[in-house]
Amino acid sequence: MVMESQGLARVREIYHDRSHRVKQLKAAGEKVIGYFCVYPVLEMLTALNLVPYRVFGDMREPITKADSCLPTVVCPFIRSALDLGLKGKYDFLDGVVMAHVCEVGEKTAHIWNLYLNPPYFHFIDTPHTVHKAAQKQHKELLKDFEKTLELFTGKELSPGRLREAIEAHNQQRALVRELYNLRKPDPPLISGTETLQVMVALMSLPVEEGNKLLRQVINEVKGRKDGLQKKTRLLIWGSIIDDVALIEMIEGLGANLVMDDTCVGSRFYFPDVELTDDPLDGLAYRYLVELKCPRTFREAVFGETKKDYMADLDSRFSYLKEYAREWNVNGVILQSVRYCDIHGYEVPQVKDYLDSIGLPSIYLEHDYSEAALAPLRTRVQAFLEVIS
Amino acid sequence: MTKVVIMDVDGGICARVVGPTGAEHRRLANRVMEEALEQANLSFDEISYVIATGYGRLNVPFADRQITELTCHARGVVSLFPAVRIAIDIGGQDAKGLKIKEGKLIDFVMNDKCAAGTGRFLEVIAAALGVKLEELGEISLKSTNKVKISNTCTIFAQQEVISYISKGIPLEDIVAGLHDAITSRVVKMVRRLKIEPDVVFTGGVAKNIGVVYAMKENLGCEVLVPEEPLFTGAIGAAILGKELTLGAMSKGEPIPRKERRLEEITFFS
Amino acid sequence: MTNEKKRTINRLKTMYPLRALLDEMYKGNIEASKAGKPTAWCMVTFWEGDVILKAMDVESVYPENYGAVCAAFGAAPAYLDRSDADGFPTHMCGYARNCLGYTARMMDLGEIPPGAPMGGMPKPILLLSSGSLCDAHYKWFQALGRYLDAPVWTMELPLPGVKESRIEGAYEHNIGFMVAELREFVTFLERLLSKKMDWDKLDELIDDMIEMNRVWYEINELRKARPCPMHSRDFWSSMSGSLYPSGDLKVSVDLYRKMYDEVKYRVDNNIGALPIEEKYRLLFLELPPWHSLGFFNQLAERGWNFVVESWSYHPPQPIDLTKVSDPLERIARFTYQWLTGRFPDAFNAGEWGGYSAYPYLEYAQDYQCDGALLHPLVTCRTATNHLMLVQDRLMKKLKIPSLVVEGDIVDLKLFDPVDALRKAETFEETMNHYKKVRRQEGLEW
Repeated sequence: MVMESQGLARVREIYHDRSHRVKQLKAAGEKVIGYFCVYPVLEMLTALNLVPYRVFGDMREPITKADSCLPTVVCPFIRSALDLGLKGKYDFLDGVVMAHVCEVGEKTAHIWNLYLNPPYFHFIDTPHTVHKAAQKQHKELLKDFEKTLELFTGKELSPGRLREAIEAHNQQRALVRELYNLRKPDPPLISGTETLQVMVALMSLPVEEGNKLLRQVINEVKGRKDGLQKKTRLLIWGSIIDDVALIEMIEGLGANLVMDDTCVGSRFYFPDVELTDDPLDGLAYRYLVELKCPRTFREAVFGETKKDYMADLDSRFSYLKEYAREWNVNGVILQSVRYCDIHGYEVPQVKDYLDSIGLPSIYLEHDYSEAALAPLRTRVQAFLEVIS
Repeated sequence: MTKVVIMDVDGGICARVVGPTGAEHRRLANRVMEEALEQANLSFDEISYVIATGYGRLNVPFADRQITELTCHARGVVSLFPAVRIAIDIGGQDAKGLKIKEGKLIDFVMNDKCAAGTGRFLEVIAAALGVKLEELGEISLKSTNKVKISNTCTIFAQQEVISYISKGIPLEDIVAGLHDAITSRVVKMVRRLKIEPDVVFTGGVAKNIGVVYAMKENLGCEVLVPEEPLFTGAIGAAILGKELTLGAMSKGEPIPRKERRLEEITFFS
Repeated sequence: MTNEKKRTINRLKTMYPLRALLDEMYKGNIEASKAGKPTAWCMVTFWEGDVILKAMDVESVYPENYGAVCAAFGAAPAYLDRSDADGFPTHMCGYARNCLGYTARMMDLGEIPPGAPMGGMPKPILLLSSGSLCDAHYKWFQALGRYLDAPVWTMELPLPGVKESRIEGAYEHNIGFMVAELREFVTFLERLLSKKMDWDKLDELIDDMIEMNRVWYEINELRKARPCPMHSRDFWSSMSGSLYPSGDLKVSVDLYRKMYDEVKYRVDNNIGALPIEEKYRLLFLELPPWHSLGFFNQLAERGWNFVVESWSYHPPQPIDLTKVSDPLERIARFTYQWLTGRFPDAFNAGEWGGYSAYPYLEYAQDYQCDGALLHPLVTCRTATNHLMLVQDRLMKKLKIPSLVVEGDIVDLKLFDPVDALRKAETFEETMNHYKKVRRQEGLEW
């Protein structure tokens, strides 16, 4: 038997052949469930011994099949993911869970179900606000999810198993935060490119395997002697980044990406799930209120009758100030795929906030195509010249 | 176009040369450099430091360092107009807006994706009109009733222009309309920087007096144009090179040079 | 030859007073709010918010509609430029960017910008956004916080999947969620306005609103007749009475009733909306090219009748709500019915685009359509993102072809009526062909 590689070497293997491991598990009789974006509740899958597997797009592959059901003026990431589905690249999945992450995501969920017809499919209609009533509704929606999962697996989702799953996933979150702490020194011990590869690998493995891998990575990175060089330290914000192309380009121009606010990164992993008496309470709260994707409407005070813009910005973005301080950030790259309304409306507002705390930023828009990233080089390099 | 500026330690310009550009960036860069050295009566070894900028900056094999055209332009414009707050540069392939505060670049916008709003737009349409690019400015000054070009895409605008010709609309009114179209497109982009005077206009297109007029009209304020608007980027690069060299020398450090060579490389053959 | 203009569509006589009333009401709202009456800027909330605001004496103005007004009057480009200059990406909703630019201008000047068409939109005390169907609906109003200190209330509307809506208890918790949210909204309004809700008034308004929509629904049912008695142009001229309930609803109900009588008379006497033979019956999606509606007259001359259009501008299929005593629950059930009323049928048909595609399959059958005219809008994703799906489902299931003609909501140049007409002429061959195919496959029409 061939020795399995360890740590970052293993991460790179998985990154370059994401589905390899889950296909092995599937061959051994396990069931793999794809999930789209960060809103499907993974603990419920894990508790029923289902392997969660994040559905991504592929920015290196031209979109050819999705045109027949999604027009070109919508999010190219979602188009790409659907395109891969239509090309049969997600056929190994035993089921798919999608949520009402955004309007196009919601439309795509039903398109996916219609055209790909996976053995199991569920759509969670995640509310748009964090009002108390929305939290309650979210819990009801998770109960609906539980019912269809139980029907599919023929097993009951016991609160005990759910608690264990929450602990395992919280463990993963704690380990990711520990890994992110290794980006705090100057120079950081691990690059942005490597970190993204780790995140992608974690989203391609069962949680316990991911935790084991994370421990190896953390040990390996802590022991590094010939680390990175000191460079301008950047935070990257915005829509999904599931390929290293953009990060590699930025780091190649003389910067270290030391922190992110994206959903294949801190946005997905940082908040824990509180272990509540009824575990669904903690899950419903965390996945609605604590996930910080701008798809959710938030206000400084519930039902406020006057709006104070700066207070509003502060309530929505103050965590970025903390990130900037703790990771000692010199500048912020705001990036979004074209046609993302969710992030598009946010851009001038997050820029206002960063201006108010004196943190320079630049906005980059791209087409989710590796080949089309080149024009961004000059902008990034000039930004680095401006801030250094 | 490939431009070279050689500057002495006091900031005096020893040579200023412009040559063609094209797919064979590297070979052309060498050639223009040789010409500049000849003009300055210097040998390559006498050059302390070389900065490459612009699109071809990665294809200059003899450069010590690459710096973006945004930083170089800003530096060049500041050296000519110290009170500048907004610099607008329209070149053959891109257009950019620079926001400058106390002589430093603090923000920028650029268009490098779409030909409309760059010099390329005027090139394409001058060809369709059968006039020389250099003549556009003078022609437009005669206009009394400029047309409105409603298409923003270069290809469609070209068709629109042809339809105006066939309708018998005077050439000068069409050309003035074109100048208005390109300018309003660029100004729209630059407005993101919040425009305030002094505004400086550079790049090859700034040589076109018609566009300069249209720019003033669109901005609603005075626009300063350097005598040689083509060279601000190169001048800026030379100044930055000079500063880096002097900085290193004053600290007694070695000049951070790359290993470099000036020869006809055989990359493409 | 007479000087009389040739009639290409028999417009409904009863449409004119209704349209006049709607125009009056629009102006009345602006006047009232300029005179200092509290004003809310509202997204379309599909009846969730309008009557509640009305019961609280708040004037509603609709920035989406104002976007269409600005586009039609040529005022949009300047507002769009301002939105661009303020850093909002240009790929986003044209109406939203128009409104952001307008508001930025208004706040700079401290008054309605001079030259704002139709009196402009006065400064609001509330922004009522909505999670329904479209992300711009709430992200846009949130972004207005850059310019306005008016609070934003985001109205929730569940959008379940077809299968998920059938899970035991789902209907109840979805309705419960809406009712709870509406109750919070009323409490919020009471706090904002320092006055109490007049529940009796609300009760009556809701009944009028439901009755108005019932009549409006019945009118549209009559359009299934051959020849179809009412063209989409009359639908578009009349729909805002239902979608944006305003003014005295009893007057609107009365005008819709008169319209019903006229349409019924036409059906009973075999009078179609076209003065000539109805050759093709068309389905239209989504927003029409408002500035080029004459295009439909040109098509009418060729025997094209537009018999049904986007379900989302249509009222819900009536359900009995008389036994529901809580007025807020009546609203919730009414709106939820609008969204999910066809889900049981969609489920049986195995169609998971419960509201994005399925309603058109049902319409196309019920109204016996020969083709669909799809109008994708470059900067309106909501009106565009399901069109390919609809096209595919109509062809796969019913052998109904679609003609796609591109346009936009603010860049009016994008719709090219000459080119569209040329395409339409060719499309007749396609419709003829598929008529035969449908017969071969045993479909009724």
